[in-house]
Amino acid sequence: MQAVDGVDLELQPGEIHALVGENGAGKSTLAAIAYGAVRSDDGSVEAVGVVGLVHQHFKLIERLRVWENVLLNREPRRGWAIDVDAARERVRALSASYGLAVDPDALVETLPVGIKQRVELLRELDREPSVLLLDEPTASLAPTEIASFFTTVGDLAKRGTAIMVVTHKLAEVIAYSQRVTVMRAGRVVASHLTSETSADEIAREMVGGEVPALAARASVATAPLLEVRGLSARSGTSVLDDATFEVRAGEIVGVAGIEGNGQTALSDALAGVAAFTGELVFAGTLLRASDTPASRLARGIRVIPQDRRHEALVLDWNVRDNVALGRQRTLGLAKYAGAAREVIERFDVRPPNPDAIVAALSGGNQQKIVVGRTLASSPKLVVAYQPTRGIDIGAAALVQSRLIEARNAGAGVLLISFELDEIFATADRVLVIANGKFVGSFDRAGIDRGRIGALMAGNA
Amino acid sequence: MNATLAAVMAILGLTLIKATPLIYAALGGVLSERAGVVNIGLEGILIAGAFTSVVVSGATGNPILGALAGVLAGMLLAAILAYVTTRLAVDQIVAGTGLNIAALAGAAFGLVLVYHQPGASHEVPALGRTGETVLVVLAFVAAGVLHLVLTRTPWGLHVRACGEDPSAADSAGIDALKTRFWAVVIGGAIASLGGVYLSLAELDLYSDGMTAGRGFIALAAVIFGRWTPLGATGAALFFGFFAALQFSLQRAGVPSELLQALPYLAALVALAGFAGRVRAPAADGVPYVRS
Repeated sequence: MQAVDGVDLELQPGEIHALVGENGAGKSTLAAIAYGAVRSDDGSVEAVGVVGLVHQHFKLIERLRVWENVLLNREPRRGWAIDVDAARERVRALSASYGLAVDPDALVETLPVGIKQRVELLRELDREPSVLLLDEPTASLAPTEIASFFTTVGDLAKRGTAIMVVTHKLAEVIAYSQRVTVMRAGRVVASHLTSETSADEIAREMVGGEVPALAARASVATAPLLEVRGLSARSGTSVLDDATFEVRAGEIVGVAGIEGNGQTALSDALAGVAAFTGELVFAGTLLRASDTPASRLARGIRVIPQDRRHEALVLDWNVRDNVALGRQRTLGLAKYAGAAREVIERFDVRPPNPDAIVAALSGGNQQKIVVGRTLASSPKLVVAYQPTRGIDIGAAALVQSRLIEARNAGAGVLLISFELDEIFATADRVLVIANGKFVGSFDRAGIDRGRIGALMAGNA
Repeated sequence: MNATLAAVMAILGLTLIKATPLIYAALGGVLSERAGVVNIGLEGILIAGAFTSVVVSGATGNPILGALAGVLAGMLLAAILAYVTTRLAVDQIVAGTGLNIAALAGAAFGLVLVYHQPGASHEVPALGRTGETVLVVLAFVAAGVLHLVLTRTPWGLHVRACGEDPSAADSAGIDALKTRFWAVVIGGAIASLGGVYLSLAELDLYSDGMTAGRGFIALAAVIFGRWTPLGATGAALFFGFFAALQFSLQRAGVPSELLQALPYLAALVALAGFAGRVRAPAADGVPYVRS
């Protein structure tokens, strides 16, 4: 199958053009072809002037300085040496010109993610591109950062740059673009002036039909399940500081926050893989920092890790063995094969083959296996950390529906997500996390999008 | 009083002599690792430099030609390592280990071929007192130059970029594989001078095992020196001091078996106390394959 097939696309100077589509629709490949990083088998790309590309995953070198990153391989020279003063000055002038404040001498690894994006943008701007491609540029930005990012981008467009934004966030498409092109399975399926379309229409075009509805939320009697008091934990660079909250049986508690604000420490402390201080009371018993992950599993606490490839699956194994993983102590031999078939059926895993090697499955189907085996063991508490990351709308709706069904059946669910829409669609209560602290709590009825956005950005 | 002063001066002088080959090897290791290639083969490069320089000096009667040939041999060995680890993406530890074994065995076999005797070569024209002094001074000059190259020049920045994130360097238009290749080869040239020093400056012959694991101590010096040329030089001096101490204490009647272990113990203790607190270049030891 071809990632991109027979696509015609035209970008105009002064225009923000949104390119949308589900994961695997071919957006990023198209951007890479336009940039020249990937060769096309057929067809041509023509551009007036330089094409710049800002990557979804920053191509910054963490332990180099800002100016070293921005001017890498274009260093100003004085004799045999780099002219460091001129380099600093060039970066300063560039940031001043575009209103992207940044210290040229700062080490990139010390910068928050929003500033890193500025550095990435500055690096492309130094090449004075006439066409700028932005691949999922807002994936790790706070709502306020997103607004100021698009102010800069709009300003660039006004100066005559043609801009293409690759994204799957439809709200941003509607708010900031002038034109939108929709891709599905490598082809362009629609193209609109943004003013003449709606988010609903675009979503239908992306999916190729109606967006599946989520499972209905039954009203359930809730009883305290997990009580967390003064929890502090650390996992790698992720730090959680003095968190107090509770999760009741029969509710979904959403933890809203921007990536890198302590979510990993929270998830790992509950999974039993990170040391913690404070009190964790689960179903009346005290959990200890010295507990093993196995003992958490035995109590009915199950975690859907955010990185399915490295933390959840053995990629070289088949579906059957992966479904049994983590349940090997409770799943008898007699039920071993049946367990895989059950997950395949309930989660519509494709291909429906228990012998398929997991590495060969798409990300969405891999995720279905992780979620499927987690819920199949009838857990009391599910910690779902970014359960729909990088999977298409249909698979995401299925995963979210199954989480709601687990809640309806009386499980407690802690949903840690970077996607506010996902939290608003599924959670009974929303907690906001910023800088490792819980800074706000909202009932479903009292959800205030603007307020939550501000809290996430650290503006209490 | 004068006797104590003389003893101290003797230890310091001996420290310089013992540290010099370590400095060369460690500098070669620093350059290679800053570009992202762990050079386990330093020991083999020392052997190649030591052996080849003796053979060529013996054959031509010219120790300077011998030294140059030693450097060339080190570069050749490094080029093999560089080629298989960059172009063929072979595991760097496996390739380097293979290089060490090949160099050790190759030199032992070479002794039989050239000198018709195992164990050691004949005595050959050596670099003499002046040559030794020049090589000692040159080691410190090399450290300073490498420091400037890495921190001040475009090529140095590109080397560091390749050691941190070759894919990002590549997308900035730097040929990461080529940069790594030349960093390893030039590193090999520097390291081989350590071998030349051992056989043609400190002595005037090659004998099996004369490098005595200095390539590995140099690897420790790279880490102890936080992957910087000046730091690695300091670490080499530190290990050189313990090697010098060994000789002085031997004269004082401490059991020699214990003393011979001293520099290695120093390396072990230094690494154990240091290991958790330093960070290697992010892509150090990771083969880079373009996607």
